Amino acid sequence: MSQPVPTVFVVDDEASVLKAVGRLLRAAGLNVVTFSSARDFLQHHDPDAPGCLVLDVSMPGLSGLELQRTLSALHCERPIIFLTGHGDIPMTVQAMKQGAIDFLTKPVDEGILLEAVRSAIEKDRAVRLKRAELAELGRRLAALTPREREVLDHVVSGRLNKQIAADLGTVEKTIKVHRAHIMEKLKVRSVAELVRLVARAEIESAPRT
Amino acid sequence: MESTHPISWLTVIWSMVASACLTLALVHVAIWFKQKERPAYLLFSLLAGSVGLMAAVEFLLMRAETVRQFGEILRWAQVPILILVCSLVWFVRLHFGTGRVWLAHAVCGSRALATVLNFLLVPNLNYREITALRHLPIPGGETIAVAEGVRNPWTTVADVSLLLTMLFVVDAALTLWRRGGRDNRRRAAVLGGSLAFFVLVAAGCASLKHAGIIHVPYLISLPFVPVLLAMAHELSFDVLRAAQLARSLETSESELRENKERIKLAASAAELALWVWDIVRDEVWITAKGRTLFGIPRSERIDFARLVSALHQDDRETVRRAAAKSLNGGGDYEGECRVVLPDGGIRWIAARGRVEFEDTGRPVRMRGVSIDITRRKRAELEVQKQRNELAHLSRVTMLGELSGALAHELNQPLTAILSNAQAAQRFLEQEDADIQEVREILADIVEEDKRAGEVIRRLRLLLKKGEVHYVPVGVNEIVKDALKLVRNDLLNQGVMVETTLASNLPLVQGDKVQLQQVLLNLIMNACDAMSGTPPVERRLHILTEAVEGDGVGVSIRDRGRGIPAEDLEQIFTPFMTTKPQGMGLGLAVCRTIISAHGGEIWASNNNPDRGACVHFTLRPAGGGPE
Repeated sequence: MSQPVPTVFVVDDEASVLKAVGRLLRAAGLNVVTFSSARDFLQHHDPDAPGCLVLDVSMPGLSGLELQRTLSALHCERPIIFLTGHGDIPMTVQAMKQGAIDFLTKPVDEGILLEAVRSAIEKDRAVRLKRAELAELGRRLAALTPREREVLDHVVSGRLNKQIAADLGTVEKTIKVHRAHIMEKLKVRSVAELVRLVARAEIESAPRT
Repeated sequence: MESTHPISWLTVIWSMVASACLTLALVHVAIWFKQKERPAYLLFSLLAGSVGLMAAVEFLLMRAETVRQFGEILRWAQVPILILVCSLVWFVRLHFGTGRVWLAHAVCGSRALATVLNFLLVPNLNYREITALRHLPIPGGETIAVAEGVRNPWTTVADVSLLLTMLFVVDAALTLWRRGGRDNRRRAAVLGGSLAFFVLVAAGCASLKHAGIIHVPYLISLPFVPVLLAMAHELSFDVLRAAQLARSLETSESELRENKERIKLAASAAELALWVWDIVRDEVWITAKGRTLFGIPRSERIDFARLVSALHQDDRETVRRAAAKSLNGGGDYEGECRVVLPDGGIRWIAARGRVEFEDTGRPVRMRGVSIDITRRKRAELEVQKQRNELAHLSRVTMLGELSGALAHELNQPLTAILSNAQAAQRFLEQEDADIQEVREILADIVEEDKRAGEVIRRLRLLLKKGEVHYVPVGVNEIVKDALKLVRNDLLNQGVMVETTLASNLPLVQGDKVQLQQVLLNLIMNACDAMSGTPPVERRLHILTEAVEGDGVGVSIRDRGRGIPAEDLEQIFTPFMTTKPQGMGLGLAVCRTIISAHGGEIWASNNNPDRGACVHFTLRPAGGGPE
């Protein structure tokens, strides 16, 4: 699947730091977009653009941690790397609990920053890939008729065609036809493959519901 | 002539009158001798003396045996009369201060003319010829000689002279009377009246006698008796007044002595040096204590320049300027200066003086006192040192609390520098390096480095344990500087800062570091007070404004818990704190600093808003602290 170039979003109220960090990331060949406040970022950033967020912790108005919470509430899972002047432990813990990728202390060396940015981009890419797969899976599952969905549930729970036909009050042959349709729609060739696919779909969608 | 009586009453009366006159004359000569500036006494003495002589002449005339003898005595009688009239006129003129001068001259001139004529004519001025002597009996069995003869027409000159005399005396007495005042009127009535009476009786009697209308002896000395009495009365007044004066003089002299002693005692007890600067002659008189104080030898003549040269080099110009200011209309002098002792030590002297001016406004002299204040000054300096040390200590403590925020202030430029530098390295590694971009980066690095340096400089200033320098400073700049230092701290605590800084504020006299310390302290207090306030309401408001007397007022308003009313004053006392980990020195130090700046600091609660407000005022530059 071809994806657009990932973007590094940088948010810092301190203009000189914003400019310098932006420059460094650009010099490292990254695509960079800078914002001077959290509110500005919320209003203008594209949630669908892949990439990560480099965020200053202490800013007037909306602070870094508050932005993290807001994004989480908006189901935006863009990985966040925090930058802070003086990282105290409670703040770090809170940020990590809320899912921050990294918590870096200013002044930050390029090696550490770039490493963090790369792994964040990687994580974002992985998340987006998985999410795309799931979406595809969802689309396939959605193509099943209600009857086929019923049959699938029974197949996945390991029952034989005979038993399913008995349970649903029909003949074995009909079940076989359903089963063939299911295999075709979900693009799987074996029952084992089918079980794995359904299990993944259920695990991934569970926390969301 | 009968000589049955051992002493005739005529002899008794005339000799009494004569001796009384002569006594009075002697007394007045004596008085005049002591007070030569008052010739009226001499004139009166001449007057009395001449009347005394006249009494003798009269007595001789009454006892004259022959016509020739009578004529001769009468001729000589003109001499005392001349003296009498002249001295009378000028006495009145001098004693009363009234009487027309031309009239006085006329009187004297006519009388002198009469006297001259008298000695040219035979037998005398009064008679062309004395035909006989009549011996009139008088009570007591005695007889007196009275002449009979032809009136000399030249007598008219003497009569005119007498008339002029009369006019003069009456005119002088009336003028004196009209001047008013109790004393003037009494003198006019008593002395003027008696003199007028004398002239009237004596002259009238003589004129009538010469005209042959009445036959009586010459009566000049007897009518003078009232004048004698009046003058004696006057004299007694003078003597009485003199005695009173002498007594009060004695009292005031002893009071003066007493005062002098008291001042001397007070001066020596208070170790005061007294001095007087004669500005016109530029000469300084100073007590022995003062010479010791300024280290000037006992016998040396002192002028202003010499006095100034005794002072510490750095104080000379100040003293000169202050003295010039008080001479140019200020009037009062007040100052402190130093004297360098031979051993190199310093003596502090305080002086206070006052200039005395002439009516024209020209300064004549300055009087004053000086006192050794070395001990007080040393104590003051010690207190000031301790105060500064305390301020420094509390500043260091405060900066400790602020260290996180301050580290952040340094971190920002360092972060920008590092990232910029590493970005530049990366750019340069690229094949087609963008030199323009690198140039911009380097400019930014320089900029950020300067910023970091500025933060460090500010920090070092606050940590420095230097002397306090009172210089003109702008309050708004100090507010902005302080806010720069705590910006991050405020951010972390979610405190919004609003400032209302008045433009065109006058400069204040102050020490930049200490004033910044006060502001930092108050800002941090305000933040602490708002730790329990919901984040959206954490607002800090700093206001600067011009206040009465060209000063500047600063208010720091928070939205915290506020201060219990009973603690509003208490919070400025040392070791009084409402914070769990506070030392309770912050506000006490703030008050010490503001007081040393000549300002005031106080707290109030905001109504109806929540929270408290701390206000302080500073004096304008030029006023000078303390």
